[in-house]
Amino acid sequence: MVLRRAKRPAPESPRATIFRWDLDKTYLKSEFESLRELVRIPFEKPEDKVAVPGVVLLIRELRNVATQGGRDVRIYFISASPPQIAKAIKEKLALDGIEYDGIVFKNQLQNLVRGKFRHLREQVGYKLTELLQSRAEMPPESTEVLFGDDWESDPIIYSLYADVLANRLAADELDTVLDTIGVDPKLSIRAKELAASARHEDVVTRIYINLERRTPPAHFRLFGSRLVPTYNYFQTAVCLYQDGHLTLPAVAHVADNLINASSYTPERLANSLADITRRGHLAPASAIAMREYVRARGLLPHRRIVEARLSRWQRFLRWLKSEPAPLPAAPEAINYQTLVAEWRGTH
Amino acid sequence: MPTIAIDAMGGDFAPDEVVKGVAQVSLETDIQCTLVGDELRIQEILGATTYNPENIGIQHAREFIEMAEDPKTAVRLKRHASVLVGARLVAEGEADALVTAGNTGAAVLACAQHFKPIHGVRKAALASVYPRQTEYPGQDELALLLDVGATIRCDAMELVQFALMGSAYARRVSKVPTPRVALLNMGIEETKGGDILVQAHRHLKAVRDINFIGNIEGNDLAKGKADVIICEGLLGNVVLKMLEGLAELVVDLAGTAARENWRWKLGLMMLASGFGRLRDLTDYAAYGGAPFLGFQHLLIKSHGRSNARAVKNAVKVAAKAVRDGVTHEISSAIEQL
Repeated sequence: MVLRRAKRPAPESPRATIFRWDLDKTYLKSEFESLRELVRIPFEKPEDKVAVPGVVLLIRELRNVATQGGRDVRIYFISASPPQIAKAIKEKLALDGIEYDGIVFKNQLQNLVRGKFRHLREQVGYKLTELLQSRAEMPPESTEVLFGDDWESDPIIYSLYADVLANRLAADELDTVLDTIGVDPKLSIRAKELAASARHEDVVTRIYINLERRTPPAHFRLFGSRLVPTYNYFQTAVCLYQDGHLTLPAVAHVADNLINASSYTPERLANSLADITRRGHLAPASAIAMREYVRARGLLPHRRIVEARLSRWQRFLRWLKSEPAPLPAAPEAINYQTLVAEWRGTH
Repeated sequence: MPTIAIDAMGGDFAPDEVVKGVAQVSLETDIQCTLVGDELRIQEILGATTYNPENIGIQHAREFIEMAEDPKTAVRLKRHASVLVGARLVAEGEADALVTAGNTGAAVLACAQHFKPIHGVRKAALASVYPRQTEYPGQDELALLLDVGATIRCDAMELVQFALMGSAYARRVSKVPTPRVALLNMGIEETKGGDILVQAHRHLKAVRDINFIGNIEGNDLAKGKADVIICEGLLGNVVLKMLEGLAELVVDLAGTAARENWRWKLGLMMLASGFGRLRDLTDYAAYGGAPFLGFQHLLIKSHGRSNARAVKNAVKVAAKAVRDGVTHEISSAIEQL
């Protein structure tokens, strides 16, 4: 079902951090909204493929920061694209200077041969089994950060994966959820087998969802605070800084890259920073540190006149008053029945 | 790209419709919007809608002025009201224009308090746009009427200044090279209307930069004879409200007729597209808002009942006016008077 490519063996360090990336709409700005665009994808050359602004530098910085800190890091890609375009994608990653440790593609041919056309677009079974299979090769204490988008089912897949590993999802509940979603029965059985044999550790620390479709953030409330919907990779970078995966200079590099290589402006970055803070995903202290550091490098607009006129004490009081309501903590067990029904209603 | 401050708390359907309108702007354009109001409430509404956070900032304001409040008292007592904070942002250069659907009197006073008047302007004028017949293809379907309530009474020279300001706005925003200006009066003869209007007529005729076409009567307002109509605030406000009332009356009458007789209903169904066109013409949401002219900064006042679409269009009008240098155009016109 899956074509695997592992460039390097799984990490030996138990404290390794694993970053798993979806490819289309998360790393690549793939356009497949129309049939014409879909047909064009296999014929695209590596140089024609476009990465989402900021993502290339963000991945490079994730590895750089970990390496400089003496931490083991692994970067894996998981794609629902067929292996026939693997060559172009690997060349694109090479062109971008992305050093990765593994990449998998979905073998769509098997579904075509079996006449299971519905399963061509169904990703839950494929990705969940692949993630669980890959996890079995990782050191038990290694933590994971997952990156996806709001186009298909990444939020559900990643949440299921995290909760299966954390032993928050009973086998019969997983069975019901996969059945409701309409997962290929063969994959469903395989997923349940892998879930049963998985080492149960709460290892997924964060799930980042790139809001490429601009899905309203409130739609993700049911997923809990583990899942962070972000509108651009500056927002993702500042949250990764808060979680200790990036440093302030690394985030500043991402910001600089967005301004110089994309159409971003300091104002747009400032608004993005304020937005992620208001949504409760960035603690005030992290937001202040980030703002001061990035602003000092000219990557955010100079302090607003209104703001500058306020004393430190007044600013502190205002900050306290404007503190966003805390997001509900990740529930012990997400109600997947409700979640799947709601998600299907909006997607 | 201009930055537009929007009073998120002003209007009958604020803050929900205002925030949703700005969310639409953020997706469709690169205009930088600063929503002024209750930060938590604004974020709550944004979070449930589709928006682009890169184009939206929020400036917290802990108070707001209700539609029915006395403007003078409210502006004096609520110093941190959203409309006042918005006006301050513009005055201090944090934003280029202010948009509000809130209390008109409070908006006018907020501007008067924080915006500097254009040198030489004696009184500011609140304008409004209204639909009119077009005489040639490509002609703007909207005419500009000013003043509609900022100044109750005014003298002849103030009316002349209104004409200059309205012409400048129409030149820049409606792209009419030489807008036709008319003075609203009770007759087309230049001796009609009392001393002030007679004097104003004489002055308007003498000003080179104004394409003055003479007096216009109420029955000609909708005929598209003039692009800019000048009058004092009391009269302008009465005219504006009457136009709105008439449009509502027509729609009400059609509804009543349809309920009373099936033949009329059938006839109205056949005229449905015509009524649709009439509704479009009188739909304030399509026009967004109208400017308050005479200050170095711009206020776009949108209808109190503005929905998201009206707010979106008001923000676009504001951005267009800023980009096209309306205040600079007015300043140059007044200087030459």
